[in-house]
Amino acid sequence: MGQVVLAIECDPAQPAACAPASTNELFETPTVFSIGGFGVNRAMLLMVLAALVVIAVLLVAYRRPRLVPTKFGTAVESVVGYVHDEIAIGVIGPDGARYFPYLLSLFLFILVCNLFGITPLINFPVTSRMAIPFFLALVTWFIFVIMGLVRNGFGYLKGIVWPSSVPLALRPLVGLIDFFSTFLLRPLTLAVRLFANMVAGHMLLSVLLVGGLIFIAEFDVKSVLGILWFALGIPIFAFEIFVAVLQAYIFTLLAAVYVQLSLHPEH
Amino acid sequence: MEGNIEALKSAIAVMGYGLAAIGPGIGIGIVVGNAVQAMARQPETAGMVRTTMFLGIAFTEALALIGFVLFFLA
Repeated sequence: MGQVVLAIECDPAQPAACAPASTNELFETPTVFSIGGFGVNRAMLLMVLAALVVIAVLLVAYRRPRLVPTKFGTAVESVVGYVHDEIAIGVIGPDGARYFPYLLSLFLFILVCNLFGITPLINFPVTSRMAIPFFLALVTWFIFVIMGLVRNGFGYLKGIVWPSSVPLALRPLVGLIDFFSTFLLRPLTLAVRLFANMVAGHMLLSVLLVGGLIFIAEFDVKSVLGILWFALGIPIFAFEIFVAVLQAYIFTLLAAVYVQLSLHPEH
Repeated sequence: MEGNIEALKSAIAVMGYGLAAIGPGIGIGIVVGNAVQAMARQPETAGMVRTTMFLGIAFTEALALIGFVLFFLA
C-alpha cells in the first residue's frame, strides 16, 4: 500500500494521497466517544449495527408469519433453512437442532460484518479486526470442548491424547499432535482464516480502488494507469462479495464440524 | 544500514509468504479437482461432496493463512 501511493508526491492539502506509515492504519478506527476512559470506536459501533441489522432482518421476515410469504420472507427463509438443514442437521446430525440458534446467529452476524467491507460509505469489514473473529472462535471452542466433556465425560480427553484406534507405539505421538490440533490450532485457524481473508480483501480493494482514484485524480499519464487499476478493482469488488459469503459459510460449517467431532469422537 | 535491514526483512517476509502459498495452492487444486471428478461421476452426491470439498479447502488453506499472518508479524 505504502509504495503504491508513494509513487506520487505527498501533498499535505490532499491527505488521501499521503502514504499511511504502515498498513495498520487502514484498520485503525478513530475513537468516536468515550465513556469513563472506555473508548468506543467505529468498529465497535459497526458491530452493534451488524447485530441490529441481523435482528431487523429476522424480525421483518418472521414477525408476522404469513401463509404466502413475501419475496423478502422467502429469501430469508431459504438462508435460514439452508443453515438449519445443511449445516445444523446435515453436519451435526439429529441433535443438531439444539445448536441451530447459535449457528444461525454466527452465520448472519459474520455475513453482515463481512459485507460491511463492500458496503459503500462503510467500507470496513469489522471481521478484519482480529478481536472479533477470535472472540467468535473462542466461544465456539468453549462450546465444543464443554459439550465433548458433558457428552463423553473424561473419555473425550482420553480419546484425544490416547487414541485407541492407533497402534500402541504411535499413540503418544499421535496423541500429542491431536491435542495441539484440537485445543490450539482449531480455534486459532478458525479465527485466522476469517481474519486473514477479510484483511486481504480490504487491502486489495484499498490499493486498487483508492489507489486507482488517486492516480486518476492526477490528470496526466498516470491517469491511464489509474483507470486500468480501477477497472481491475471492479471484478475484485464482486469477488469480495463471494468471499464474504463463503467465509461466513465456512466459519459456520467448521463450527458445526467441531461440535460434531466432539459429540461423536469415534468418527 | 538500518533502512537496508528493514527493506531486507520485508523482502524476506514477502518471499516467505510466497513459499507458504505453494503447498496449499497445489493442495487446493488436488482437493477441488477430485471433488469435481466425484461430482461428475455421481451428480446425485454433489451436495455432500461440495460440503466436504469446502472443509478440505478450509483445512488446506489454513497453512497459507498462517504464512499470511507471519508476513505481517515479520
